[in-house]
Amino acid sequence: MSEQGDRHTPGRGLINGLAVTLKTMTRRSGTQQYPDVEPELPPRSRGVIALLEENCTVCMLCARECPDWCIYIDSHKEEVVVPGAARARQRNVLDKFDIDFSLCMYCGICIEVCPFDALHWTPEFEYAETDVLNLLHDKNRLGDWMRTVPPPPAHDVLGEPSKEEATAARKAAGPGAPTPAQTARPAVRPEPKP
Amino acid sequence: MPLWLDLLVRVVAVVAAFLVVPLVVGQMEHKVMAHMQSRLGPMYAGGFHGWAQLVADGVKFVQKEDITPRDADRPVFRLAPLVALFPYLVVLLAIPLGPGGLVAQPMDVGLFFVLAVLGVGVVAVLMSAWASANKYSLLGGLRGAAQLLGYELPLVLSAASVAMAAGTLSLPGIVAAWSPWWLLWQAPAALVFFVSGLAEIRRPPFDMPIADSELVFGYMTEYTGLRFAFFLLAEYVGIVVIAALTTVLFLGGWHGPDPAHLGWLWTLAKVFAVSFVVIWLRVSYPRLREDQLQRLCWLVLVPVALAQLVLTAVVKLAL
Amino acid sequence: MTVADVLLLALGAVAVGSGAAVVTSDHLVRSGLYLVVSLGAMAGLYLVLGAELVAWVQVLVYVGAVVVLLLFAVMLTRAPIGPSPDLDRPAWPALIVGGGVGLGLAALLADAFRWTLYDRPEPGTTERMGTQIFGQWVLPFEVLSILLLSALVGAIVLSRPDIGARTGEEA
Repeated sequence: MSEQGDRHTPGRGLINGLAVTLKTMTRRSGTQQYPDVEPELPPRSRGVIALLEENCTVCMLCARECPDWCIYIDSHKEEVVVPGAARARQRNVLDKFDIDFSLCMYCGICIEVCPFDALHWTPEFEYAETDVLNLLHDKNRLGDWMRTVPPPPAHDVLGEPSKEEATAARKAAGPGAPTPAQTARPAVRPEPKP
Repeated sequence: MPLWLDLLVRVVAVVAAFLVVPLVVGQMEHKVMAHMQSRLGPMYAGGFHGWAQLVADGVKFVQKEDITPRDADRPVFRLAPLVALFPYLVVLLAIPLGPGGLVAQPMDVGLFFVLAVLGVGVVAVLMSAWASANKYSLLGGLRGAAQLLGYELPLVLSAASVAMAAGTLSLPGIVAAWSPWWLLWQAPAALVFFVSGLAEIRRPPFDMPIADSELVFGYMTEYTGLRFAFFLLAEYVGIVVIAALTTVLFLGGWHGPDPAHLGWLWTLAKVFAVSFVVIWLRVSYPRLREDQLQRLCWLVLVPVALAQLVLTAVVKLAL
Repeated sequence: MTVADVLLLALGAVAVGSGAAVVTSDHLVRSGLYLVVSLGAMAGLYLVLGAELVAWVQVLVYVGAVVVLLLFAVMLTRAPIGPSPDLDRPAWPALIVGGGVGLGLAALLADAFRWTLYDRPEPGTTERMGTQIFGQWVLPFEVLSILLLSALVGAIVLSRPDIGARTGEEA
């Protein structure tokens, strides 16, 4: 096949070009009319980070893992007298938990490393400021974002059950039951739990 | 009706059409182009789907500073936008809207008048290009002059074909003589006229004199504010004029159901339909290269127009 | 004085004035633009005299094409903005030749018409023009077209060196 043979009839490209634009015109346009119409964000959009203060143990993992060093944490120790215990327990109390969203690059590592689920993604994104200093959200403001955290998505019915569930099931079944590793890819898919 | 009142009404009507129809076409371009590119275009100005966008643009242009470059030839530089705009205004005088003398100035040599006055536009291109004292402007202007001179030939030849067919140079006369089968008979001439008309008003894909990716903005580079707006307005009036001429010469003007009463409506509808095609072509096709442009003119359009002249003469003699 | 007379005088003044500006202006490109004005005023004169077709042909051919070509050529070669004092422009011979031609033509016209008044002919419609050209004046018309055609062919031959070279070898 020569190079000429691959060519179409002359003028076909012109017609095709016109057809493409005409077809596009009759379709709905892809424009998001954002301020007038709220965008339909996918679940788990990375809008802003919310803090559930009660869950935070001031382990500093998030602040240390943050690539931008944009999390600032201050705390002090408090003694908690537990009745019946030999001596008072020590507890970390959070004084300051700030995230500077002018530095944050929304990698989500802090949320990944948090061992106690104190940090959450929320899809809220309308927190632009006229002063860059106001992008430093303190722990109250981060706590306010908790209201906008969507409920966690349902478990994937085809996925591996969580470790807690698997352990509980194994304990209930008694000794000799298969371990989670053995049930990871069952021959017959388990019925979804209600 | 006294003569002066009659004259006043006609002039006011033409000026009103001159100011309104191009804006409608411009708004149509905004919206049609946007939707063809899967966008929405202006949505806010004026409330409903951004209908007042061009009015807002006009207000903005008026507010802008009117800058004349220091090295420019001031009088020529400042005069050029008016020279660009004026021919189109004059051409609108001769375009018939409906039967029974619904034309601002019935003229025995209307076709000739229109083509002659359109040819003056090239002077404005050269004036603005040279007076800007800018090499991009000059390059754009020279491209424009070469393009306009070249494409005037097929434009006049194809118009001559339809004048031969109608046996008159008067625009209302041509429309009156038109019959539907001319659509087929004069199709090559119509195509040549439309394409070279596009090139005459320097619309994409024939916008090499402007070519923003290579020449900044061609001969309009140095213009700001109201003078730039005049050039833009000239472009949109140009679309209207070319669409109206194509309508009148080749698409039968006011012919349609009930021409006596609705003739003006058919003319306007056809003008807007042709304007739509002008915009459609702009969205669909990339800009031609300078040598491709001249090849198209001299090796395709001119021979086709000459062949159409022969065909017209043969059919005319045979009938 | 009728309106037509006033218009004739005004347009004539514009034509002569801009014509003088063409030859006296120091600005090279502006001279060309003055020529546009001058030729436009001439077209206006034709219009006032009722020769509509001639007027628009004047605009189409001279303003729209010839002057534009002229300006185009000037801009391609040298087009400084501002005055060019080094223009080679012999004033006295030009004045003598121009004035002589003007006076001679004026004397000729005055001698030929001698203040006799002529009625203006009816406006030159396209139809009359056509019948005249293709009836009474068909021979000069066709001779002119042959002249133009040969000029066209000659221009093509001159601009294509490949054609010239081949004929040169044969000769």
